[in-house]
Amino acid sequence: MIAVLATLVGVALGVVLEPTVPVALQPYLPIAVIAALDAVFGGIRATLDKIFDDKQFVVSFVSNVLVAGLIVYLGDQLGVGGQLSTGVVVVLGVRIFGNVAAIRRHLFRA
Amino acid sequence: MTGDPATRDTRGAPAGTDPATRDIPGAPAGARPRAGDFLTDLFRSPLDPGYAAAARRRAGRPAPTGVRRATAVGARAAALLGIGFVLAVAHQHVVAAQPQTTRARVGLAADVLARRAETDDLSRRADRLREQVAAERDAALSANGEGARLRDLEAGAGLAAVRGDGTVVRLADAAPPVDPVTGRPSTTNPGRVLDHDLQDVANELWRLGAEAIAINGERLTATTTIRAAGGAILVDFRPITAPYQVSAIGPHDVRSRFVASATAKRFRAYAATYRMQFSVRDRADLTLPAAGEPSLRYAHPIASPVPSASGGGR
Repeated sequence: MIAVLATLVGVALGVVLEPTVPVALQPYLPIAVIAALDAVFGGIRATLDKIFDDKQFVVSFVSNVLVAGLIVYLGDQLGVGGQLSTGVVVVLGVRIFGNVAAIRRHLFRA
Repeated sequence: MTGDPATRDTRGAPAGTDPATRDIPGAPAGARPRAGDFLTDLFRSPLDPGYAAAARRRAGRPAPTGVRRATAVGARAAALLGIGFVLAVAHQHVVAAQPQTTRARVGLAADVLARRAETDDLSRRADRLREQVAAERDAALSANGEGARLRDLEAGAGLAAVRGDGTVVRLADAAPPVDPVTGRPSTTNPGRVLDHDLQDVANELWRLGAEAIAINGERLTATTTIRAAGGAILVDFRPITAPYQVSAIGPHDVRSRFVASATAKRFRAYAATYRMQFSVRDRADLTLPAAGEPSLRYAHPIASPVPSASGGGR
């Protein structure tokens, strides 16, 4: 309940404040989105598995965003930023799909 | 979940491989024999193993209470707040970035549609006014035979629609030859209909006594151009597309004489060699539309009507 409320408040804040993304941070926005989605689906799956852990959730979200951003930043400096961000998206995307499949199995037993 | 040996054997390890180093499907996560196969690992256990580890650590210990629990819930809420914020920001970013690529195009398309509607309106109005003018003129000239003569001249000059029996020459591009190496259609197509092909056909038909010619419904007059612009053919500056139908109203033997002409012979050769499509057919009761109103080059309409010197019969 509190989780849904917090997410909604976050969305509302984003909509109301309408922050402009600095140009320097724009390449990291899709990465942050994917990392955030990964954390969310991982958390939902863990909740359904009854092993949800607040610390693990927070740490995985923050570190996912930071590490993914760092990887892409490194790649940008080395000239492979686009490819690396594709890699990050693929890896996290696979995890998201796997977690969603697990959630589906939990909810529908199929 | 342990998989019986028979099915595991069908997956097969190469002979001589130590069974202990094999990746055992379905083994519990804690007892995985090796972690070398990254992709298999990734697909099999998408959940962060940290959750399982934390659950194991927690097992047996009492659930946290008081301040610890409040902190944990607060951190969770803060993280979710951040996630929601990021998602909303990303969405807004996408929405804000979209117009740069699409707004210009949407605006232009709307502009084009509006202008086209306006043009249609104006041309309908011009047609109405033209009919009105023609009716007035006929009424004014009906006394002597000038009216009929004028109509004949108008039909000949392409200012009035004409109807009659005639012939239709149909030309169409050959299918582009396929490049045998890449398998893609070749960019050079010798069987394409060019602007001067249509010019030749039209000129031959004029020569054979055609009284009116239209290409794909665009009436030819003395000043009509048939030109190419890029890949398109423009007749009177309006683009036309294949297949090209050159319709001509003329004497009844136009078709036979056209078929016997050197131009038709050349196109038959094109058809045989380059697979250009070429056919000539008689068509009864053709209707060719009027050409667009010619722009006045030397005369200009004046603002207030002034009676002409001759009186114009009025």
